[in-house]
Amino acid sequence: MDLGFKGKVALVTGAGSQIGFGKETALLLAKEGCDAVAVTDVNLEDAEKTAAAVKQIGCKSIAVKADITNYTEVNAMVKKVIDEYGKIDILCNVAGGIIHKDNVPIDKQDPAVWEKQLKLNLVGTMNVTRAVIPQMRKQKYGVIVNIGSGSTHQYQMGVGTYAMSKYAIDLFTKQLAFVEGEAGIRVNCVAPGPAPTNFGAILREDMPKLPPEEMEKMRAAMLGTFPLGRMGTAADIANATVILASDVTSYVTGQVFHVSGGSVM
Amino acid sequence: MDLGFKGKVALVTGAGSQIGFGKAIALLLAKEGCDAVAITDINLDDAKLTAEAVKALGRKSIAVKADVTNQAKVQAMVKKVIDEYGKIDILINVAGGVMGGGPLEEQNPEMWDKDINLNLYGTMLVSKAVVPYMKKQNYGVIVNIGSGSTHQYGPPHGVGMYAISKAAVDVFTKQLATVEANTGIRVNCVAPGPSPTNFIKAPDKQAVVDMLAKTIPLGRGATPEDIAYATLYFASDISGYVTGQVLHVSGGSVM
Repeated sequence: MDLGFKGKVALVTGAGSQIGFGKETALLLAKEGCDAVAVTDVNLEDAEKTAAAVKQIGCKSIAVKADITNYTEVNAMVKKVIDEYGKIDILCNVAGGIIHKDNVPIDKQDPAVWEKQLKLNLVGTMNVTRAVIPQMRKQKYGVIVNIGSGSTHQYQMGVGTYAMSKYAIDLFTKQLAFVEGEAGIRVNCVAPGPAPTNFGAILREDMPKLPPEEMEKMRAAMLGTFPLGRMGTAADIANATVILASDVTSYVTGQVFHVSGGSVM
Repeated sequence: MDLGFKGKVALVTGAGSQIGFGKAIALLLAKEGCDAVAITDINLDDAKLTAEAVKALGRKSIAVKADVTNQAKVQAMVKKVIDEYGKIDILINVAGGVMGGGPLEEQNPEMWDKDINLNLYGTMLVSKAVVPYMKKQNYGVIVNIGSGSTHQYGPPHGVGMYAISKAAVDVFTKQLATVEANTGIRVNCVAPGPSPTNFIKAPDKQAVVDMLAKTIPLGRGATPEDIAYATLYFASDISGYVTGQVLHVSGGSVM
């Protein structure tokens, strides 16, 4: 299926991690024919690795450092991409993460962590979008794919600001889709289930060290609760993201799409 | 993007209409590499036209007549497809339609039965007939067609059994997805917005769609191709980690 990416310029945030959704998405956009895929991350060296991998596919790329919680840096980053390629057709807001394991009772949680969490996931996504939207309006064309989370529908995780920040991204997706629809901009959200990215490391922080067989048992118990019985892969998420970034979904906007093995329906 | 359809056999119901979702889906499945795309419809002549169009793309096809509300006929239709191609990897439940509407007190409960029979039971009966074969092969993908009307409660939709029957298809999608997940079967649903298909009875279908589209964020109605692309994503293994989902392809009219 031709996804119509010829001549398109994409920007993928949070694409530094070499095992994450961002890199996988950047590579797939390149493979499927984008003209250029700009890569940004808070860690420039990581972003450069991904940009090099994109170039290896024969697609143009630049790596730009940006902390998405800092609007000045974000604005400069977006300007740099536009200066380089003249436009941004596709924005994939992957940057985000969990600041601290907060699946503890609410009275044990630190409000400073709440603030950081909301700032990274919600304000970060809004910052990048805010900087890119004027250019998309000018083009009368733009596709934005945000990364949400299956945790928005899993309440047994407890009261977690991470899940709330991602739920806010769902709402942001719908609001923006509604308001910018007539400007030719589509906005959708891919909500992943658990996948073996760097994300898990923080969840395992200060977890008691268990013998491997115990870890395996825990893992199997967790997977047993997913209808499809396996964890997601970065490729699962990239496939959905790239389909939503393509004009084959030109009549889809404001949707939150769960790619989580049926763990959220 | 290679959707991995090489060697796959698909069955599309309600694919007779020459301006409908079913035909657009059948043709796109063929174009993207399915080995065979079987076509069924209550109207055999129409089904044959679609089967011919599939064959013109260089793929195998047969047309089989079936009324999806009749269990015996559905079973016979599915058996015929299996006899012909040995398996069914992909089932697309498109057959459906709208029967009644209007103010509740003026509605005829017989019309309610017809809506439920056609949209819910029809989808369930075809799935019921195909699932045993999918289980045997430990592989299967089912895509149901839902409706944006499940989330539109005011005029011009009103209280309509059509929307209620489609909401039931959403629940059926999730239930079947959960129950059959460990047998290698995925089940998802595409919920279309208004489109100029036979679903709209007025002679100028596009005019009706354009009128409805005024309140749609993307400002237009759906084309059969919009629906076909979303359906193919679900039908392909590129969505191998997606099950039990309802995707609204409705220009943002449902969020």
